[in-house]
Amino acid sequence: MLSRRSAFKAAAGIAAAGTFAITEAAHAADKVVKVGMDLSLTGADAESAARVGNGAILAFEDANKYAEVPGIKFDLVKFDDGTATAGQYDPAQAATNARKMVSDKGFIAALGPQMSGAGKAMSPILSEGNLAIITPSSTNPDITDPKFAAQYRPKGKAVYFRTVTTDAYQGPNMANFLAKTVGIKSVYILDDSGAYGVGIADSFERRCKELGLNVMGRDRLDPKAADYSAVLTKIKSLNPDALYYGGVGQAGVKLAKQVYEILPKIIKAGGDGIYGVELLKGAGFPAADGWYASNASPHKDEGDKKIKEFSDRFNARFKGSPDDYTLTMYVAARAIIETVKVLQAAGKPVTRDTVRDGLQNVRMANSLIGPVEFDENGDLKNKVISVFQVKKDAAKPLDNMDDQFAYVGIAPMS
Amino acid sequence: MTSGDLFLQQLINGLNLGAMYSLLALGFTLVYGIMELINFSHFNVFMVGAFIALGVLKLMGMDGQTVILSGLPLIGVILVTFVVTMFATGMIGVGIERVLLRPLRAVTGPAAMILTIGVSYILFNIILIGVGGDTRNFANPLPSITWAFGGANLRLRDVLIWFIAIVLMLGLTYFVQYTKLGKGMRATAQDPEAARMMGVEVDSVVGLSFFIGSALAGASGLIFGLYYNYAKVDMGFSAGLRAFTAAVLGGIGNVPGAMLGGVLIGLIESSSSQLIGQAWADVIIFSILVIVLVFRPAGLLGRQAPNKS
Repeated sequence: MLSRRSAFKAAAGIAAAGTFAITEAAHAADKVVKVGMDLSLTGADAESAARVGNGAILAFEDANKYAEVPGIKFDLVKFDDGTATAGQYDPAQAATNARKMVSDKGFIAALGPQMSGAGKAMSPILSEGNLAIITPSSTNPDITDPKFAAQYRPKGKAVYFRTVTTDAYQGPNMANFLAKTVGIKSVYILDDSGAYGVGIADSFERRCKELGLNVMGRDRLDPKAADYSAVLTKIKSLNPDALYYGGVGQAGVKLAKQVYEILPKIIKAGGDGIYGVELLKGAGFPAADGWYASNASPHKDEGDKKIKEFSDRFNARFKGSPDDYTLTMYVAARAIIETVKVLQAAGKPVTRDTVRDGLQNVRMANSLIGPVEFDENGDLKNKVISVFQVKKDAAKPLDNMDDQFAYVGIAPMS
Repeated sequence: MTSGDLFLQQLINGLNLGAMYSLLALGFTLVYGIMELINFSHFNVFMVGAFIALGVLKLMGMDGQTVILSGLPLIGVILVTFVVTMFATGMIGVGIERVLLRPLRAVTGPAAMILTIGVSYILFNIILIGVGGDTRNFANPLPSITWAFGGANLRLRDVLIWFIAIVLMLGLTYFVQYTKLGKGMRATAQDPEAARMMGVEVDSVVGLSFFIGSALAGASGLIFGLYYNYAKVDMGFSAGLRAFTAAVLGGIGNVPGAMLGGVLIGLIESSSSQLIGQAWADVIIFSILVIVLVFRPAGLLGRQAPNKS
């Protein structure tokens, strides 16, 4: 009879041997490369962060399952840039995450962040480490603008890639749309004080003035305040044709509710910050009805077989429907996989330096969001701004984006 | 809109905000009056209250904005939601006091106040994990009745929030001034030691003040939800901070002072949004607070209380 101690030793020995054997057999030659993913998993954007992140999870799970790149296993490591104190993304936390990724040579590339404020904090650190990141949704133009290269990419090479177009096009193209397609003459502009909101509202305002629209005023909202009735009452007294809101859902859903109460007839529009489930769930109908929203990517076309197949796969894995930014995240992850595949096939080493250079030249002619190529600043070459409008479809689920946001078309280019 | 209408509308907007801040300020002021403790968990008890009310309304089949009630069902639903929410948040308050604050009562210094900040974050994160960070649409059974005065609109919900705020304030004032328990509370506030000698059960009086304060926070949470039609995990911070400021401005520990402070802050907020810009509202509110405190350190209606020792 074994004594208790020797029984334990024997069991431990068998377990250890077993684990060793399995690891050896399955991953004998596999090299594990890490890909960091920075999202705002805590706070106000937690739910959309999860939906976006799932796009990358799906891409890497499939690549690993089907051994798409022979000899390479991808390890997706999640980082959270949201903090409870900020209640949403926190640039300081994003910077910390970037430092963690840069200091570990195992990371060959990164995905994220969702928010431009986080991107501004991360980009200089990533540049120092020459670690490329692809953002699925941060659209502030400054980060990739060569004018600010000294600030955001001190090492010179582009490290901040995007699978979305920037606000440099989102704001102005929406102004074109409102002036030329809808036919407004005057507008009042609000922003939510964030890097994204101010940037997009600024570019919208500039274009409005070029188009000769009457910009009746500009105000800044406190995203944590509950009540915007005073500023909306002021707008009501000025009686503009349209209201433009640059900002994200935090202030946006409250604004939508109160706009409906105070300015029920006004034409209202925003950027991709309000293009999301949050407007439908948080503001609800009838308040959400009629809002125009732009998105800095081509729209996933329901008729497209590829996208249908992706949505089904996504739904089977995560029980929910993907956002457009789930698609851009998936495509961003695919860009990394493609790059690594090319490197591996050419027999080149897979390091962060080779991956960065590879991304610069990656060509995906037929991705879920159309052709993907990056210019020398990291921006997407294919610049398309889609416009949507909330149109209540009572027969369908009221919180499903695809059912309630009607695709209007592509906004006129400047 | 004429400028007269605009003024009237901004006045209504300001009074609405004021009523909301006042209700929240009452809870701060009550607990401070009894224990000289600034209860920062109040911010998030208010937020939890909104989510409890959201759940209660959901249980009664009101999810989203589609169900509009009138007459007796409306009164019934609102009453039930108020009672359940206030009782639940009241018990949370009692729990916080009994389990966490009572062992610290003998400790002087800021320990108890820091502890309430901790509790606040715990409540915040419980809701964040349990419910999520998205904005939740709050069911609104109130019919949307509006009275127009020229270009200015007065809505049923505006009147309702003023009415509830006034009723709760009068009720609280009566309770504190004229009932036996209320007298016990005031006695405890002045000198717990002497109150105990006179037969006041100090422990239950403190527990009661936490119950009432937190129940008021729950009521404000429900009113906030009915008024703005949303609940969100971060709603406690900015509303709570302004309510706290209202309590200090009016004279912390003073019930009518809390109401006055709340209404003043509401009016300042709406007029600064009109005249300067929404982003400047906080700057103006807090500048006025600083000026008032420099000249009247006890707040507008506060009296320099005789020292406890």
